Amino acid sequence: MSTNSKKIISWIPRALVLAAALVLINTQLYQSQIIDTLEMGFVFSLLAMGIFISFRILDIPDLSVDGTFALGASVSALLTYNGHPVLAIFASLAAGALAGGVTGVLITKFKVQPILGGIITMTALLSINLLILGAPSRSLWKNNTIFTLMQSVLKDYTDIILSAAVMLLVFIIMFWFLKTQIGMSLRATGDNEFMVRASSINSDTMKIIGFMIANALVSLAGAMNAQITKTGDTNSGTGMLVVGLASIIIGEIFFSRHTIFSGLAAAVFGAVSYRFILAFAISLGIDTKFTKLLSAVIVVIAIALPVIKKSVSGGIKLLKERGE
Amino acid sequence: MLKIEHATVIFNAKTVNEKVALKDFSCDISDGDFITVIGSNGAGKSTLMNAISGSLMLDEGKILLDGKDITRFKEHKRARFIGRLFQDPLKGTAPNMTIEENLGLAYSRGKKRTLNIGINKRDINLFREKLKALGLGLEDRMKTPVGLLSGGQRQALTLLMATFVTPKLLLLDEHTAALDPVTAKKVMEITDDIVKKDKITTLMITHNIDGALRYGNKTIVLSQGQKLMDIKGDERKDMTVEGLMKLYSKTASDSLSDKMIL
Repeated sequence: MSTNSKKIISWIPRALVLAAALVLINTQLYQSQIIDTLEMGFVFSLLAMGIFISFRILDIPDLSVDGTFALGASVSALLTYNGHPVLAIFASLAAGALAGGVTGVLITKFKVQPILGGIITMTALLSINLLILGAPSRSLWKNNTIFTLMQSVLKDYTDIILSAAVMLLVFIIMFWFLKTQIGMSLRATGDNEFMVRASSINSDTMKIIGFMIANALVSLAGAMNAQITKTGDTNSGTGMLVVGLASIIIGEIFFSRHTIFSGLAAAVFGAVSYRFILAFAISLGIDTKFTKLLSAVIVVIAIALPVIKKSVSGGIKLLKERGE
Repeated sequence: MLKIEHATVIFNAKTVNEKVALKDFSCDISDGDFITVIGSNGAGKSTLMNAISGSLMLDEGKILLDGKDITRFKEHKRARFIGRLFQDPLKGTAPNMTIEENLGLAYSRGKKRTLNIGINKRDINLFREKLKALGLGLEDRMKTPVGLLSGGQRQALTLLMATFVTPKLLLLDEHTAALDPVTAKKVMEITDDIVKKDKITTLMITHNIDGALRYGNKTIVLSQGQKLMDIKGDERKDMTVEGLMKLYSKTASDSLSDKMIL
């Protein structure tokens, strides 16, 4: 009973923030803006769930993300341009998995430092993406995408229904996967590698699998983004790791990361929230140039806050002791 | 059962910091042996454990398990038949995963991990039964993350995990050294029970000479990476802590004087 009431009290400030956000959304944004923001939020929740796998589950910051997001966009744009929008989605998944696998092999088999391994893949992808797309960017205005294909069935709500459906599907698959034997081995690998090897699990293989899944999801986000915005851009991946991290961190204000469900929910909720923060910033007339700066600041604040809290409370304690 | 032949491990070979951690070490462990290993700091005890478990590769020599040469097997591959406990209670379990998830991982040791659901209803009943046998009340906290347990509880859980699928060989690397005396005693009793019940061949490092004589059927004394003594049978039965200490310091000082002459 008392733990329950404590839980309720701890939720009050969060509920207030949520209520204020809902009021803001209703007063500041038009309905079409809200729907657009939700769509983009669902697309970017795929990115956040991918980064959740590498950053939270495996506990390794994977910098290949910036490259694989653009890889997904490039593969998707090329195939959509040539009339295969559905194939484009699956091909981008495969391409992302392949790129993630390369990072995984670099880190585990060739003992490259994790951060450097990601940077190497990302840098290589800068050229590869240009090679795939054949140009820095490509417009898809005249081509059919998965969204225009479904237009006849889903009418005006095609974009939001389709992006929500893909998000939900990925959410369910990830939730199930992380409960399987392989999924549990993956989680343990990020949690305690000693224990994993002592339990006859090949931690190298697990890391490679983890990177493949993470980057497949990031690439999927890039592919969906290209089709929904009708442009494939080889530069679309810049800063995506930090954007994804910011999303996860925002989401974790509302959902703890300690269970699989709430960890994934935090990624989705955070990605959507992040899009709404951007939408507000834009509606307030803030230049979109500053959006990446904003995400960098969010990440720094979230990571620094516990340290600042500690040193402030430590300082107050010290002052009190001196006063006495 | 386990045969170690001329095992040698050298750290920082061919540098000024070269250290021979294990030097031409041979021993033969039979089925059902419970061997205790003692020796001072730097004697090579942990190196021996790491060499057997595969977290260190031998520079020379061979390790045979049931006649099979496992010298070049990687750690995770050897873990299919070798269970292991570390001195640090934090090393043996995944802190952010629940008790039942940790047990689930241990339960699939040696088997191929698949896309089947990690823990099913039947497993949970089995886990509860096994946890109950530990007598620590963990059976009521199966959904608790292991990180919230005390060191003793974690070590007891690790022990259960290491022996869940009965290993051919159990390695205990001072697994009670980081615990308070009461908990250490309890964990040691649980260890002895499990080892006896499942007749697990065991190698235990300890700093506690009394314990080294009380548990097991053989004692190996290590010094400077070499086997100094191998005490078993009647000799071991009659051995007292004082006697062993005397023998130990005598041989230790012998090797020390050798070194001084050189």
